[in-house]
Amino acid sequence: MAECIVVTSGKGGVGKTTTSANLAAGLALQGKSVVVVDADIGLRNLDVVLGLENRIVYDLVQVIEGECRLKQALIRDKRVEGLFLLPAAQTRDKAAVKPEDMQKLVRDLKVDHEYVIIDCPAGIEQGFKNSVAGADRALVVTTPEVSAIRDADRIIGLVEAHDLPEPQLIINRYRPGMVSRGDMMNRDDILEILAIPLVGIVPDHQDVIISANRGQPVVFDDRSIVGQAYRRITERVLGNDVPIPNFDEDPGLWTTFKRWMGFAPAREAV
Amino acid sequence: MLALLQKLQDAFAPSRPASKDEAKQRLKLLLIHDQVDLPPMQLERMKTEILEVVARYCEIDPDEGVEFRLNREDGQVSIISCVPVRRVICREA
Repeated sequence: MAECIVVTSGKGGVGKTTTSANLAAGLALQGKSVVVVDADIGLRNLDVVLGLENRIVYDLVQVIEGECRLKQALIRDKRVEGLFLLPAAQTRDKAAVKPEDMQKLVRDLKVDHEYVIIDCPAGIEQGFKNSVAGADRALVVTTPEVSAIRDADRIIGLVEAHDLPEPQLIINRYRPGMVSRGDMMNRDDILEILAIPLVGIVPDHQDVIISANRGQPVVFDDRSIVGQAYRRITERVLGNDVPIPNFDEDPGLWTTFKRWMGFAPAREAV
Repeated sequence: MLALLQKLQDAFAPSRPASKDEAKQRLKLLLIHDQVDLPPMQLERMKTEILEVVARYCEIDPDEGVEFRLNREDGQVSIISCVPVRRVICREA
């Protein structure tokens, strides 16, 4: 039975697109057949994060308007078996798509694929309504900041108002150093406020920017701590109960150096 | 120890261009395509068709390399093409 997961946040710039790209690529690495859909009509960016921008021929709006067949618009990622992108239109506005269109699109995609991941645009208007319309469940992305958590709380309510089950949470841009100094809300603080199950924590790390520069999802790099974080998130999305590591203590320079040399164990899981 | 060797190997491996340069290069191309609303695949198709037309009149020298790209200067986008020709095909009047 295929499943459609929407990645949403309310607030812009918290990492929905990065999360969507890495979750989709992570699922494909696990042998699943996955389509990741860019639902941000007019501001497409998922193609760039995945490094597939030069291969776009048709887009989501053209599929919906019947200008091309669904299969013609899907871009196959050559780096991993089973990963496909359905790009957004760049020159249309959100009014070009209605929730019923998305429901039909998702139904059609589920015929040949096990997972449909929808990268939801920021905001709570048309783009959000379209994105949740065809979804079976939602992942809410937030960062440990007041504004992002406030919007996440709002989005959780809206997701439930659309008759989806309780969403799950991804905490992005987590900075253990700041958390240990008491300058950033930790995981328990955030979970106390949002009160939904946690699927993962992604540390704030330069690998995210470097991989975006190159158009290479960081989940492909199993030596990156961010790549590892996305691999664990993928496992948990698949229902496997892998532990979420405790990023909360700052290891200090010496331990970091020993780890780098391979003489100390990696971070302990909780 | 293996991990250490791997890291040393990485450190001395021939390096790719800096990721920020890759980013800038990709971005420049993206902005051009966004401005003219011409997806890269469409550009490729146009190139093929234009070359077909040129080939009806001239013998193209593919070894010399055919240049066909979009260029952006002062916000103005143009198509730059350079097609090396071996000889013009004589046509009956």
